Amino acid sequence: MLNALDKSLLKTVADLEGIPKGAYNIRKDGKLLARQVSANIDIETNEEGTGIVVTIKPGTKNESVHIPVILSQAGLYDVVYNSFIIGDDADVVIVAGCGIHCGTSEPEGHAGIHEFKVGKRAKVTYVEKHYASGEGTGKRTLNPTTKVFLDEGAQADMELTQIGGVDDTTRVNEAQLEAGSLLLITERVMTDGEQSAVSTNNIVLKGAGSRANMISRSVMKGNSRQVLYATIEARNKSFGHIECDAIIMDNGTNETMPALKAFHPDAELTHEASIGKIANDQLTKLMSLGLDYDQAVNRIIQGFLK
Amino acid sequence: MLELKNLYFTVEQSEGGGTRNIIDGMNFTFEDGKFYAITGPNGSGKTTLAKLIMGINPATQGEIIFNGTNISGLSIAQRAKAGIAYSFQHPARFKGITFRDLLAIATGVEDEHKLLEIVRRVGICPLSFLDKEVDAKLSGGEIKKIELAITIALNPELAIYDEPDTGIDLWTIGPMVNLLKKEMTRRDMTTIVVSHNRSFLEAADVILIIDGGKIVYNGDLEGAVPLLEDLSVCTYRNTCEGDHDAECFR
Repeated sequence: MLNALDKSLLKTVADLEGIPKGAYNIRKDGKLLARQVSANIDIETNEEGTGIVVTIKPGTKNESVHIPVILSQAGLYDVVYNSFIIGDDADVVIVAGCGIHCGTSEPEGHAGIHEFKVGKRAKVTYVEKHYASGEGTGKRTLNPTTKVFLDEGAQADMELTQIGGVDDTTRVNEAQLEAGSLLLITERVMTDGEQSAVSTNNIVLKGAGSRANMISRSVMKGNSRQVLYATIEARNKSFGHIECDAIIMDNGTNETMPALKAFHPDAELTHEASIGKIANDQLTKLMSLGLDYDQAVNRIIQGFLK
Repeated sequence: MLELKNLYFTVEQSEGGGTRNIIDGMNFTFEDGKFYAITGPNGSGKTTLAKLIMGINPATQGEIIFNGTNISGLSIAQRAKAGIAYSFQHPARFKGITFRDLLAIATGVEDEHKLLEIVRRVGICPLSFLDKEVDAKLSGGEIKKIELAITIALNPELAIYDEPDTGIDLWTIGPMVNLLKKEMTRRDMTTIVVSHNRSFLEAADVILIIDGGKIVYNGDLEGAVPLLEDLSVCTYRNTCEGDHDAECFR
């Protein structure tokens, strides 16, 4: 069912050696390839037939859902709308990811719109990796959107990674937090050559005691370009922090625009942002441990994007 | 054995043009297995000398001979592989790199048990430090302990410590001196410490006082005291009292 190329893409984007255990939905070249539901996790195709609805029963603990997408069909631009309804008090891991293999000069792309409704006191860890490979010259585009609604006391820990090979990406992350909820977003993007990535993030702290922490790590190699917009808007007594760091290598460019908006007198919002080359003292330290210059650069970038 | 032969480090003057010798024709031989403390006034060239030995700054002129080989043209990494380790006064901070990662890079060891063994042997950092990120969240003292532990874990033939007591609490300095002495004896290691701290000066076999880029004294502590007073190396506490206290800003 899975060829060697599929397996390699799945390994890269979802850490899967083959078909996973537990609930899963694997989409290949715009079509359902395999699906498995569990006693507590249901997966159905949505009414429009444009994606899936994953429903997790309240109280479900220590279960995971894998929903990777793989593309290796020339000329295809695959768009999916996936919804995740996570019941109250559940604690689950969702692993998504898109791997593109481009073997021709035809463009290939994928847009995934993922909407999360996280129930009261529920916790979700969402891991999303994007990766493109292949010897073809076709443009590889990935445009992921995540929309998160956290109910009272809910928690979402989102790790969003684009590890390489994607020519053009427009990323959008939106979140709305009710009272006492917590959102942690870590986004890591590496671009190279003539690639471009734009990431727009809007987090609204709606409920009292809600908290959000957004971490962005960007590496620009070659002539690549990245733009980051990160906005936290507080409408209640709440706490928000944005930390964005960008490392420029070669002739890469970066624009980072963190924005804090407080519409409540007890809002506490902070941000820290930096753009620059790898610090000399870091390189010198690693070289003094026996690494040569290139090894030291690689090790620093590897840690930075870890 | 480390020999400095007619060593110069020269910089362009920003004001008035011309050049200035930060290290000014230095000649000295560091013998194996001895503990050297380098001290002297601020700006005298102590850290520059240490960096020249490690290759962090390139010598303008002269030779550095380590175990009979001229290492003047070697890179930092090549000198590290030759057995020289350097502990920075202000260690670099990284995002996403842990103490464990740095120890693994330094020693080539990734095995959990062996890493814990190294941390235990060094003794200065709790085992819980292993997975701490070496980032801006660490206190000055914590990062210096990690720096020291990594230097010792390298098992170097020559260990250079630039102001190892910066940020370290008074109660840790004694054990730190003992640790450096113990490691030095265990490995027959040559130890060079750049410091004003009395504990390190007292522990040293040889004190070198540097002033104006030259070695102006080479001998024991007793003989060094009058000169330290003259040079107002005021952080050497016995020599810095009364009216001179205002200068003791460290």
